[in-house]
Formats: sequence, structure tokens, C-alpha cells
Amino acid sequence: MKYLVRSQGFGATVGVIAMLAVFTVIDFSGWWTVQTLSNVTQFTAILALVALGQALVIMTKEIDLSVGSIYGLTGVAFITLEPSLGVPGSLIVALFIAAIAGFVQGTAVVKGELPSMIVTLGGLFAARGIIYVWTGGSVHNFSPDARTHALTRLLGGELFGIAAAIYWVGIISLLLSIMLWGTRFGNRLLATGGSRESAESRGVRTDRVKTAAFVLCSLLAGFAGILTLCNQPQTHVTLGENMELEAISAAVIGGCLLTGGRGSILGVILGALIVVSFRYELIALGAPSSWYITFVGAVLIVAVIFNQKLARFLGHSV
Amino acid sequence: MTQQPLIQVKNLDLYFGAFHALKNVSVDFNAGELIGLVGDNGAGKTTLIRVLCGIHAPTKGEVFFDGRKVEKFHPKLAIDQGIETIQQSVGLCDNLSIARNFYLGREPVKRILGIPFLDFAKMREKSSRVIRQFGLRENVSADDEVERLSGGERQSVKIGRAVEFKNRVVIMDEPTNHLSVREREHVNELAVQLKEQGLLVIYITHDIFQVHKLADRVVIMENGEKVADASTDSMSAEALEDVIRQGGRVVEKQEAV
Ligand SMILES: Nc1ncnc2c1ncn2[C@@H]1O[C@H](COP(=O)(O)OP(=O)(O)OP(=O)(O)O)[C@@H](O)[C@H]1O
Ligand SMILES: [Mg+2]
Repeated sequence: MKYLVRSQGFGATVGVIAMLAVFTVIDFSGWWTVQTLSNVTQFTAILALVALGQALVIMTKEIDLSVGSIYGLTGVAFITLEPSLGVPGSLIVALFIAAIAGFVQGTAVVKGELPSMIVTLGGLFAARGIIYVWTGGSVHNFSPDARTHALTRLLGGELFGIAAAIYWVGIISLLLSIMLWGTRFGNRLLATGGSRESAESRGVRTDRVKTAAFVLCSLLAGFAGILTLCNQPQTHVTLGENMELEAISAAVIGGCLLTGGRGSILGVILGALIVVSFRYELIALGAPSSWYITFVGAVLIVAVIFNQKLARFLGHSV
Repeated sequence: MTQQPLIQVKNLDLYFGAFHALKNVSVDFNAGELIGLVGDNGAGKTTLIRVLCGIHAPTKGEVFFDGRKVEKFHPKLAIDQGIETIQQSVGLCDNLSIARNFYLGREPVKRILGIPFLDFAKMREKSSRVIRQFGLRENVSADDEVERLSGGERQSVKIGRAVEFKNRVVIMDEPTNHLSVREREHVNELAVQLKEQGLLVIYITHDIFQVHKLADRVVIMENGEKVADASTDSMSAEALEDVIRQGGRVVEKQEAV
């Protein structure tokens, strides 16, 4: 219990319990159905992947506003390159494009000593612009062959009635936890976010650490885009729009402090669950879909206040 | 004195924007020497040693290490050359545990299936053993975050780390700050021991009488300039204090005569 309270994910855990209680009371029959739960968990898995990457960047005390566009761009690349490269080939090239996008932005942030908020805002527009030019605004589909390709099914199918994305988020979050808490890179990433000068004075190449975080973030966003399209192989120019806001919300609700150096992998997943559940349930209850953004905003603010109070209570300086 | 200096600083200038923080500083540091670096607040002591440990690159001038000109300045390069520094105001990440801070940048690993994982057992055991000698209380564990430590305990982590990783040069920027009498003595003994082991020790302090007792040579700075550089045999502690109080003018006059 003590460990739980001390973990950054505590707020999100409380939030999920409260949210489920409320949904149970106001919409028992609508919420607790296989259909709802499978949709919500599938969307949660996708958003969680994007939010996990975002969390890594936030832990280094930067931010990445471009994840929604990178998610879209990688997805578009995956679908439109498939006819010439095949499914595995276009998967690799699409992820490579994502990695390059992260590398370019990360390098601009550390070498140019620019605020990541601005650089990645540029990335957001630039990548979205490329999507428009590339697709010409039209919708692209996978061929029937590509839809039934083993790799497409591995990434977008299901096993025992559970969507592949959920297994993927399970595996990736486990790997990220191990990386973050159990390796040199993780220790240096957390140190970079905690105090860049101090980490640097101990010989940590904080510029490389930050660049690596941006690359991982873009890769995860791109991979999430690919998972989505393997499940529903149809691109649209708005693919991933506003996703950066949801991802940042999920990371912050999940306990990542914008002051850097602190966060929780489990918390981020629960944060994504909260964001997605609100979206789904509000629409299910018949609220106009535009209300959902307002609600996410309100939840975000409550979460930030809660997490800050919690951090102060634990004696952290935030 | 035919041996070449381990670190040689030649005509160093450093600007922070328009502010001239180091003005044409030249000084030699020899292996096996304990050198006191003294001077008023804001004299440029910390700035000078931050060039030596790679945090700042000089605007003009040269630094030689072991006879070779230093081309690139980064803390990692300085550490790899064997320069270990107890920094005055940076060096600890509040969000990390004592053990993680202790080994930051040189984390020991244990391979499982060929993958290098942090060796937590070693990190905990070794770090707490070393730091306890410098005043870390028994009830503080190596897993506690540095944020919860007292000023003296934080200092003990930095000192312990320098002892553990000492190599060729140990730079101590006001190392006895926040320390109680016993730990202070321990640190001063340590500085002498390191020197006797053949290391170069650069010791920054405001405690003139203490440094006069410990050091072989004292370098005095004032307003970004080196104003005196004398062996402690040739200068009494009182004279040293006078020079600092008067901003180096005494020395200039003496030289002019
Ligand atoms: N990063 C920086 N940017 C701008 N000015 C700086 C910076 N670091 C130091 N200075 C300025 O350079 C001067 C020398 O500072 P320095 O820290 O070297 O003094 P010091 O001799 O170590 O003093 P103290 O005994 O108080 O530690 C001061 O006027 C300080 O304000
Ligand atoms: Mg100083």
C-alpha cells in the first residue's frame, strides 16, 4: 500500500476506480458489455502506446506535440507503400520514417537549444502537411491480400477474442518498465529530467538521452498508427488529429510531472484508459461529441491538481 | 620542478555573454600537489574549475592535460581523463535514490541473458558503505531519494562518490560546506591522503587557515584574475588573508617594488 501511494501512478489508479464506479451507477447496462469493453480497451491500447512515448519525453522535461501527426504519417506511409514494398517492407520503412522524424526534432531541440514545444509544434504542422500532399486528400485502402497477410493479422487481429493491440501494449509497457528502471539508459533518462546540469556534470550525454527519447516517442506513435491501420486498413488525412492532446493528457493524468524525472508506466496506461473511457461513454450517453474535449480538459485539470498535491505530500519539490 | 604539469592553463579567458568571468588566467597544477584555490565570493574559482572538469569551454586560451591540448570540453571527456569533481552547486538529481546518484554515468551492470541490467545489489551495498564514512546516518537507506537528505548528507554523497571514483585529479569545490566538525576533519585528511597517493588535489575553500595548513601551494583569485600563486612555505596564513581582503593589491605592490 505504501509503495502504491508513493508511486506516481497512484492518482490514476484512484481515478480509474472512481470513474468505473460512476459509470457503473449511471450506465450499468451500457458500460459493462463485451462490446463496450472490447472497444474501450482496444482504443486504450492504441492511445497508451502514444502516451507511453510521450511519457518518456516528458520524463526528460521536454514535450512532443507532433505525436498525432507522426501517428498519421507513419500510418499513411505503411498503407501507401505496401503495394510496392509488401507488408513487412512497408512496415519497416514506415517505422524508419517515424524514427527519422523523432531524430530530426530531437536534434533540433538539443543542438539548437530550442524549446521542444515550438520545435514539435512545427513537426505537428510539417508532418500533417506531408500527409495532405502525399495522399492528395484521398482515402487509401489495403488490398485484400495485404489484409490477410500474416503480419497484418499479427498486428491488427485478435487472439482469444482480445485485440492484438492489447497484447502489444502489454509487451511494450513491460519492456519500457524494465528499460526505465533497470538499465543504464533508464537511469540516465530519469537523471536528465531530474536535473540536466547535474546529470551532465556526471558525464551523462544528456543531448543523446533526449534525442533517444524523441526517437522512441515517434517510433511508439508510429507503431500505434500501424496497429490501428492493421485493424482497420483505411487511411484518412485526419488520422491522428488531436491525438497529441489526448496523449499528453493521458501521460499527465497517469502521473508524469511536467517538471521532469518522475512518472509511471502503469499510470500512463490507466491515464489512457480514463481519457478513452470518457470519450466513449459521453458519446454512448448521447452527449454531443464536442463535449468530450471539455470533459477531458476538466479531468486533466483535476488530475494535475491531485498529482501535484500528492507529489508535495510525498515531499517532492514540484 | 622539471616534470611537466599535469594540468596547464594558459591565458584563459571566459565570458558569460558580456560578463568577463575569467581574465587571462594562467596556472600550472602538478600531480602529487594539494593546491588551495581561494578568493572572494564571485572571484571565479568555481568558473575556473568548471573549465577543468569540462562544464564550460573557454572563450580564449588553452588547457593542457598531461601535455596534450584539450580540444573539446565535456564533463564526460574530463571524467574519462581521470578528473573527478565535487561540484559546489550541481551534481545530484533530486528525483533519484542515493545509490542511483552515486553511480550516475558509470552504473555497474550484471548481464542476464547477455542484457546489461543495473546491478542494484552492488549499487546499494557499495554506495552506502562509502558514504557512511562521511556522515550519512544509519537510518538513511541507499534507496532513499536524495531530495529528502539534509545538506550535510547530500555533501557526503558527493564526497563519497569522488573517493570511490578517484583517478588522477580530484577537484573539491568547498567540500566541507554543511559538514559537522568530525566529517570536516575527515574530508581534510582525505584530501591529504589523495595527494600522498600521487593525485592532484585542487581544494577550493573560504577557510584560509585550514587551507594554509593543508595545501602545498595557494592560488588566489580576485575578479576573474589570478592575483597570487605562492607556496604555503613562502607566505604566512595572515599574509594570505591580507591579500584576499585587499583584493590582491598587496601582491601587485610587492611585485612592483
Ligand atoms: N553560468 C553563469 N552565467 C553567468 N554568470 C556566471 C555563471 N556562473 C558564474 N557566473 C558569474 O561569474 C562570477 C564568478 O562566479 P564563480 O561561481 O566562479 O565564483 P566563486 O569564486 O566560485 O565564488 P563563491 O566563493 O561564492 O563560490 C560571478 O560573478 C558569477 O555571477
Ligand atoms: Mg564557487
